[in-house]
Amino acid sequence: MLNLLPHLVNGLMLGLLFALIALGFTLIVGLMEQINLAHGSLFALGAYVALQFLGPRPPLPPELAAQWLDLAPGWRYGLALIIAPCAVGILGIAVELCMRRTYGKDPLYGLLLTFGAAMVIEEGIRLVWGTRDHVLPVPAAVSGAFLFHDLIWSTYRFYAAGIALAVIALVWLLIEKTPYGAIIKAGAHDSEMVRALGINLSRLRLGVFVFGTMLAAFAGIILAPVWGIRPHMGVDAVIPAFLIIVLGGVGSFWGAVVAALLVGLAIGLTGAYASEWSLLSIYILLVAVVSVRARGLFGKKSMLEA
Amino acid sequence: MTAVLAGVAGFYGPWKHNRAYAQSKPIKLGLTNDASGQFGNSGRDEHRAIRMAIDEQNAKGGVLGRKVEWVTADTESQPAVGTRVAERFITREDCAILIGALSSGVANAITQVASKYGAIYLNSNSSAPSEAAENCARIKFVWDGNGTNFIRAAVRNAMQSIGKNWVLLTNDYVYGHSTAASTKALVEAGGGRIMENMLVPQNTRDFTAYLLKIQQLKPDVVSTAMGGDDNKALREQVVQLKLGEKPAWIEPQADWPDVWGAPQSLSGVFGTTWYHKLKLPGVAEFVKRWQAAIKGDPGAVPVPGNVSYNGYMATRELFRAMERAGSTNNIRIIKALENLKMPAADRMQHFDAYINPLTHQVNQTIYLARRNPKPADNTDHFDILSWTQPQVVEDDAAPGKCKLVPYEQVRTVDA
Repeated sequence: MLNLLPHLVNGLMLGLLFALIALGFTLIVGLMEQINLAHGSLFALGAYVALQFLGPRPPLPPELAAQWLDLAPGWRYGLALIIAPCAVGILGIAVELCMRRTYGKDPLYGLLLTFGAAMVIEEGIRLVWGTRDHVLPVPAAVSGAFLFHDLIWSTYRFYAAGIALAVIALVWLLIEKTPYGAIIKAGAHDSEMVRALGINLSRLRLGVFVFGTMLAAFAGIILAPVWGIRPHMGVDAVIPAFLIIVLGGVGSFWGAVVAALLVGLAIGLTGAYASEWSLLSIYILLVAVVSVRARGLFGKKSMLEA
Repeated sequence: MTAVLAGVAGFYGPWKHNRAYAQSKPIKLGLTNDASGQFGNSGRDEHRAIRMAIDEQNAKGGVLGRKVEWVTADTESQPAVGTRVAERFITREDCAILIGALSSGVANAITQVASKYGAIYLNSNSSAPSEAAENCARIKFVWDGNGTNFIRAAVRNAMQSIGKNWVLLTNDYVYGHSTAASTKALVEAGGGRIMENMLVPQNTRDFTAYLLKIQQLKPDVVSTAMGGDDNKALREQVVQLKLGEKPAWIEPQADWPDVWGAPQSLSGVFGTTWYHKLKLPGVAEFVKRWQAAIKGDPGAVPVPGNVSYNGYMATRELFRAMERAGSTNNIRIIKALENLKMPAADRMQHFDAYINPLTHQVNQTIYLARRNPKPADNTDHFDILSWTQPQVVEDDAAPGKCKLVPYEQVRTVDA
């Protein structure tokens, strides 16, 4: 049991990181019924924009850049965590404006559009930052390692898992406990009624999409020190994100969180005890769950099942 | 009847036009380089080097008076894509020669297609020992040092100086498996013990479970056989956990494009076939030529490394073989490459290299290195510790596993 415990802890931490990756994706799918295949590329772009701000040549006017570079590394990192998602959010606006023509049509149009956007963003990253790998600098307080029960643990992973937990809580509060969340949910449930109440549905959708985009970028910054920064890092994010929302049930917030934890545990435990199965285990988990509950763990019952 | 069928097959074959216009038509090479996926970074690097060799040859008037042209497509680090691209290059683009590979899975897939049509295939950078053993082919030549070569250079020393309890961390594909098998055999032959061979699926990004397990097992040495992005992610996480010193880490080969951009992730001892700071004649000049060739390419690594070196050397030696043979006939080129001896000075390495005619492996100097503690400049990431003669590290089990088909069974084609 003592040997198992570190792997359980690792699995849960990994699960929280997966939940962070899937959060923006699940919001857009659940509330807009759009599968955003550009999620992974926006995730990567978040990491690259943060890298630019944390590097020696921040994208600012000379005077402002000098002041920025005078800030303590911790402050710069903290501000980059806010600025980079906002910058990526602007791109999110552009993507959503393009997506508007696909609303109400065959979902394939939205899929193709976001797939194209993903490729454009990835190639754009290659053009601007090149193909080489980068490492995102993080403040000394959250880097390094510590010894616990005769094992060395990464400080950053605990920090990242903590951040993921905080973001999950904040998003839940926003969706469940604020009037904005109520409007967003109402818009997803009955768009005609929301329109009839005088709420601008287009603006609502734009807001949700940009928020999802910003969450993707934020996740990219948090995961970058673990996975490294490279142009195609988005592919590593979009596949588990998609799997998690299907496993948890499309549109279910807590479904996505629970599914992410299960995926993290599956990878963590198989990585230690049956390593060759560690990636396959998540697909086996998906097949096992979907075979019994086609709508995923917490998915809403389909009209066909009524 | 057989003769009639052979004639019909020849007429409808992909080179039916080449035969008529062989003397005026450009020589067309199919460059099967990964531009995305696990080996995308390195694939782009070798692609640049192959093109550099082609441009240099064309500047000298081409090969046998014919211009060299090329086509390329992203093999995506995926064997199925490699098969598709090779088939297209040979049957639709009239390429009788294919060059390029990082992933041994892709290399093996291309080999099958090239063998079917008799197209020459230069595996420039895939370093699975099986490429010149059970997966060898008469039409294929393997230009990179392989996992067995590197492990042979490293294992004996590590067994004596570090310890006998080893854990293997093995990427779950052909390179990982065949390199791990070599390591296991060498460790056990030396009286060592493999505590566990942990298989790592391709595209793994989080190695914490493996690193925790390694700490629980407490081995003396961890020998990795990982490739591309997986290897980079592993290295970064080893350094994050400060596990780079204990246990000792051995990595068969650190590909330069994977190191570039993240040199701080280097730890332990690793192998390479070439380094741009080798104090040998021609190295500095080669670096300058590379820099001229990549000018204006923002994605290129500013100095060449082992991957671009192998890509360049494979292509250059192909052209030389054509000129020695005085022909672009595949069998004559193959014969001109088999038994080839390449002087050390010509290859900018410490020892002469040679192609083993029984395996088609280029046996060359193997360097062991570590992260450079005192870099001379911002490109100086390796500290070269030793260089070993190719004869010492040659995979002596490979000739027994490699069964090259007789020349008569290779379909004859002209490029």
